[in-house]
Amino acid sequence: MTAGKIAIVGAGPSGCFLAQSLLKSAPGLEVDLIDRLPVPYGLVRYGVAADHQGTKGVARQFARVFERQGARFFGNVTLGRDITLEALRGAYDAVVLAAGLSQDRPLGIPGADLPGVHGAGTLTRALYDHPDAGGLPGLGPRPLIVGNGNVAIDLLRLLAKQPGELDGSDLGPVATGWLAQSGIEEITIAGRSPAAQAKFDTVMIKELAKLSGVSIRVLGAGSSDDPAEQKKIDAVQALDGIATGPRRVTFRFGLTPVAVVGHSHVEAVRFATDAGEEVVPCTSVLTAIGFGPSGDLPREALLADATDAGAGALAPGLYATGWFRRGPRGTIPDNRADAQALAARILDQLAPDPAKAGRAALAGLAQAVDYTGWTRIDAHEIKAAPEGRCRAKITTREEMLRLARHQETPQ
Amino acid sequence: MKITILYGTETGNAEMLAEDIQSELEGGHDVDCLNLSDMAPSDFDASRLFLLVCSTYGDGELPASAQPFAEAMAAEQPDLSALHFAIFGLGDSEYDETFNHGPKKLAELMQAHGAHQIGERVAHDASGADMAEDLAFPWAEEVIALAGAALGEAA
Ligand SMILES: Cc1cc2nc3c(=O)[nH]c(=O)nc-3n(C[C@H](O)[C@H](O)[C@H](O)COP(=O)(O)O)c2cc1C
Repeated sequence: MTAGKIAIVGAGPSGCFLAQSLLKSAPGLEVDLIDRLPVPYGLVRYGVAADHQGTKGVARQFARVFERQGARFFGNVTLGRDITLEALRGAYDAVVLAAGLSQDRPLGIPGADLPGVHGAGTLTRALYDHPDAGGLPGLGPRPLIVGNGNVAIDLLRLLAKQPGELDGSDLGPVATGWLAQSGIEEITIAGRSPAAQAKFDTVMIKELAKLSGVSIRVLGAGSSDDPAEQKKIDAVQALDGIATGPRRVTFRFGLTPVAVVGHSHVEAVRFATDAGEEVVPCTSVLTAIGFGPSGDLPREALLADATDAGAGALAPGLYATGWFRRGPRGTIPDNRADAQALAARILDQLAPDPAKAGRAALAGLAQAVDYTGWTRIDAHEIKAAPEGRCRAKITTREEMLRLARHQETPQ
Repeated sequence: MKITILYGTETGNAEMLAEDIQSELEGGHDVDCLNLSDMAPSDFDASRLFLLVCSTYGDGELPASAQPFAEAMAAEQPDLSALHFAIFGLGDSEYDETFNHGPKKLAELMQAHGAHQIGERVAHDASGADMAEDLAFPWAEEVIALAGAALGEAA
């Protein structure tokens, strides 16, 4: 049986799939998942949309990784603050960075810093009760979404939904009230590429046909000789003319943002199009154009110096996987495939050193939350779910830590 | 009974379920469990019952691990007329238009080559309240009972 000690930084889907794959091939490994949050599963909890509970079902597999495969969770541990990357590499035979990419990629055009411009990641974290998120901003009656990937479509769908359409989700009471009172009259979603090359999945588009309170228009979807592209175009075009309610939704394509216009607040976005410039008035701008590193880890330097960046090998005993390695592209299946390939490589190169301390190096971190602590939080959240919701997320670190330690909440 | 569980998966749910079914059946039967990506059409053995567990991806497509198998079936055109299989599907009713189309396509592929389906195709819904194994264990028990006669031995 392969011995050896492996630390994975980030207990999101990439880190969990990696641990699963490593332990499946080599059940004798000591695999530890470290996360800055007291709760595991990263974007499965805070990125996958609240009304896509089916997609969150992979969390059952991840629970097995801890419950049956023997991985350990060290939550509420921040790399760089609680333990350095150097110390971690000293204690483990291999360290894998699976920390994801959490910062919204900025628009990088004049006016992008005006009040009323919000990144999809920032907004999503606030919607889904991430403990480090800020409040939910007012969007006004006419928000404009810039981007045409799945993140943009998720945002569009949430903003377009009627309260009853969120039944069965885990959307919290604050976000639920915020959506119910949004006063949104019209949502425009503007993509830079033509519809043929839009990044969203066709099923995500088809799902919008079920919305119960919208009037949808699709402008300039174009056509393509490529059957796969045409299928995507057809799916978008099929939404045109849907009229189930008063909230207007307009799809636009081939619009490259040039400037955000406004005096003290967003008033419009100026786009370059094939037909010249166009100014689209709006009351807020939501950017969903990709993600970048949070800056906690020197990602660029690590990747630049990597032995084999394409395979996730950064340096001897140091690896990267998921979005942290590849950039913000690909969904859960891609990250699983990535993790499986990396697991094979790690096991091939692993040279266990019995002198390595392994998880003993983390033993002094009194604030760490273990898997049992998470199961207490999880059980509490499920039990506290109100009518129409499958879970009531704990929204603050303090409360998470209190529950993890099994202390009663003061009344 | 000699049973082979074959799974087609994209994010691992079908694989986990296949392994759970294997653990559940192992006491009473001789059970293998294999990814469809590792299954060649020429490996089919009519003395075994094949339990297929398959999810749905893309826009009602077969999941990634079932696709090489489908291609091999198309290329090799095996005669499976002596073969018996049963099928359990995973999907998500959020995608209602293509709900559980992956396993439907896989069943049709097997039947197109002459294989006999035992029992109904049962579907798990990731957005529903049931755990996959709570539907799959009774399904497995039932199709094994039905297959007993077909395979010429007691279940
Ligand atoms: C991008 C995407 C597309 C999907 N498409 C469908 C679909 O068309 N029909 C369906 O029934 N389920 C669909 N599903 C749901 C999956 O089949 C379901 O989550 C299943 O449990 C996945 O099993 P697996 O992990 O074994 O692949 C889709 C899921 C995702 C994430």
